[in-house]
Amino acid sequence: MQVFLQTLIGGITFGAVYALVAMGFSIVYRTMGLVNFAHGSVVMIGAYAASTFYMASKVPFAVAIVVAIVVTGLIGLIIERFLRPLENKDFTLMLIGTIGFGAVLEALAILIWGATGHAVPSPVATEPLNLGGVRIPTYSLLVIGVAALATTMLAFFLRRTKLGAAMQAVAMDHEAATACGIHVGRSNAMAFGIGACLAAVAGSLIGPMLYVNPTMGGTLGIKGFAAAMLGGFGSMPGAIVGGIAFGLLDAFAAGNFQAYSELVTFVVFALAVMIRPTGIFGEATVNRA
Amino acid sequence: MRRRLLLLAPIAVAAWLLPYGLGGYTMHVVDVAVIFAVLAIGLGLTMGVAGQINLAQVAFFGIGAYTVAILTSRTGLGFWPAAVLAILASIAAGLLVGIPALRMQSHYLGIVTLGLALGFINWVTNAGIAGRAEGISDIPVPPLFGIDLSSGYLYYYLELAVFALVLVFALFVTRSPLGRRLRAMRDDDLAAGALGAEIPLLRMTAFVLSGLYGGVAGVLYAGLIRFVAPETFNIGNMFLLLAMVIIGGRASIVGCVIGALGLAFVREALLDVSAFAQLGYGIVVVLVVVFFPKGLAGLPAQVFRRKTGERPRLSPFVPYDEVPPADARSVLEIDQVTKRFKGLVALQDVSLSVPARQIRGIVGPNGSGKTTLFNVISGFYTATAGRVRLDGASVGGLAPYRLSLKGVARTFQNLRLFEDLTVRDNILVALDRTRTSWIWRYLALPWAVSRYERSLRGRADEVLHRFGLTEFADAIPRSLPYGIQRRVEIARAMASLPSLLLLDEPAAGLNGDEVGRLAEIVRSIRDSGVTVVVIEHNMGLVMSLCDHVTVLSGGRVIADGPPDEVAVDPRVVEAYLGDSMAAPTEREAEHEHADR
Repeated sequence: MQVFLQTLIGGITFGAVYALVAMGFSIVYRTMGLVNFAHGSVVMIGAYAASTFYMASKVPFAVAIVVAIVVTGLIGLIIERFLRPLENKDFTLMLIGTIGFGAVLEALAILIWGATGHAVPSPVATEPLNLGGVRIPTYSLLVIGVAALATTMLAFFLRRTKLGAAMQAVAMDHEAATACGIHVGRSNAMAFGIGACLAAVAGSLIGPMLYVNPTMGGTLGIKGFAAAMLGGFGSMPGAIVGGIAFGLLDAFAAGNFQAYSELVTFVVFALAVMIRPTGIFGEATVNRA
Repeated sequence: MRRRLLLLAPIAVAAWLLPYGLGGYTMHVVDVAVIFAVLAIGLGLTMGVAGQINLAQVAFFGIGAYTVAILTSRTGLGFWPAAVLAILASIAAGLLVGIPALRMQSHYLGIVTLGLALGFINWVTNAGIAGRAEGISDIPVPPLFGIDLSSGYLYYYLELAVFALVLVFALFVTRSPLGRRLRAMRDDDLAAGALGAEIPLLRMTAFVLSGLYGGVAGVLYAGLIRFVAPETFNIGNMFLLLAMVIIGGRASIVGCVIGALGLAFVREALLDVSAFAQLGYGIVVVLVVVFFPKGLAGLPAQVFRRKTGERPRLSPFVPYDEVPPADARSVLEIDQVTKRFKGLVALQDVSLSVPARQIRGIVGPNGSGKTTLFNVISGFYTATAGRVRLDGASVGGLAPYRLSLKGVARTFQNLRLFEDLTVRDNILVALDRTRTSWIWRYLALPWAVSRYERSLRGRADEVLHRFGLTEFADAIPRSLPYGIQRRVEIARAMASLPSLLLLDEPAAGLNGDEVGRLAEIVRSIRDSGVTVVVIEHNMGLVMSLCDHVTVLSGGRVIADGPPDEVAVDPRVVEAYLGDSMAAPTEREAEHEHADR
């Protein structure tokens, strides 16, 4: 039971990060119908930016996160600007284009930070809380808290602001949105920017939990994508539920299958998607037929 | 063709003489490059030709290599028996990875295949039988009639022979009816299905080909390096492979080969600065995707725009031979069909019966369920209730390709021509009436396939001539005027020799002359013994063309009879001119609300 609860907490912590990554995928997908395969690499850049700044300049962790957000936000805008000529034309090409950007970012990370990577000290040094024999690391609470805050802010933006409403409109029908005077390109750029900012938050948070290295983007990206898909691609609540579900799946697979956990995770994921491709909440997508 | 062979001869001679001018290490680099070329052909077939995103190609490669390694080193099996089993294992993996493709496409497929590839790497790095991270290093030298294949020079000739074989097979497949169907599926899987292509089987075929090429490459790799380790099959190399195919031109097999050979040498040259190399590939891939979507293979066409000499012209339609009427049985019978989409009722108890050799008009306001009815008849939708009978046999719930083989052909409201296929190829897709199970012939009886292809081409010329499209045969549909595209779509539907032809708004976007010619074509089609059902908004055309008209409104049949009777039916007038005086529709109510 204790082991179970311990695994549960670990799973939820990682799940919160996967949910952030998944939301980044989803916001781009629902706005422009594109899956950004470079998203994992943007998370990795975010992790590097935050951890480097945090360790080098001894500023508070929150400031380091903000710096990472600015860096990745810019990267997101650059990617969108490059691929804009392909928007609403050829999705396979755009998809391959984002894979290309992923490779570029990974190469840049190797050139800037080296191929080996570094460990990041935890920003909260307090003892883990002890709840009936289950040890809850304070950092886990921080991760869950920050993820919840980012989610709330995103929901507020999408629901309550004019810009958010414009983005929702583009997601539903980009032609009708254009007719209403919404600049679709700008809205897409914003989706990419926000997606990249979420990636930075996810990367900053996961830094102290994992070893930060240039290839972490691939695995994180796929896990985040899988989470988004489990929840139902493009759906925001789906991304959260899918993220946590995938975090738990991951944690329990690691507990029971040790080294083969990745294999088990991906096979279970492939099966789940085959049985229900639209995920738990159904795909909230732009109908492009 | 002969000129191509002449062009090929110097390349073959150069490839044959190549080892004489190379040092030992360069020879090794060439050997590796050829293996990448085999892999790239496989990826080009699945991604470029069949349009299936496959990021597991490197795993098929790995399965081939690892199977050879495990079987030879652990069980002492000979190299060649192990090689055969390895290729079979890769094909089996292809089938397994292809299963998700039946349920999902594009990015979903991309991530699932990528996930399975990562799963494979995870397995080989941890499984004791696969040698964990250290890999397996005691693979024997493949024996071949006393030829010492541990020499990179002699191994090159083995590779060359295999490479030539797989290249010719890939070219053969892409230029045959199967390849055309794969390309049609890539461009528009719905239209391909409606023309008789078995989409699920074709998708599996694409992944089987992918597995086959991955397996062959894996066997060659195991024989050449005689050592396998997980890092050869990592995602970085998958990306390199993808870059090769994209830069070379994914839809062109030759382009894939050029891309693979080129990048393999670049990779070798930049081995010491691999991070810069990856940066370079990434940037080049992004640039190619944005500026040269067809890659190197598409470059000549993009640079040297072919000068158009004479503008091609549409020739007159050559009427079909009239067939004397037989008994007036009913070809299509729709009995109490209802179609619901969750809460929305699109069709409610629709019944109609179309006798042979009739032109039946289906009219009704927008949103009255006309196209839904077509989608039910042609198998895109399954009716919620009711029956559809074709020549007396119930066909409810059959897949579109089965209905196509049973003689149903259709056109689409928004035109669904295969965009990257020429007009002739569009027609050829419809002419090919074989089932996909026919594909064993591609391996066993390639000459039979060639003969069949020649007969198809002859018939395609007949169809093109009949519809006056001969001068447009090699044009890409996108480049043609709208009216001609509409005619191509009708020609394509008729090429499948249907007994029932469904035309969805064939006159939309046509000018007066074109509408007149359309009526002439449709009458001739009817006189040749084909039953025609046509959805149309152009009432002048409906009145003059149709023998009988059915009016739909709100998913129900509200009138059915000869055109002149139907036109004066008060319910029809009401449906068309609006009943807003009596009760505003939902949309109108909304508008009023907004106005206030």
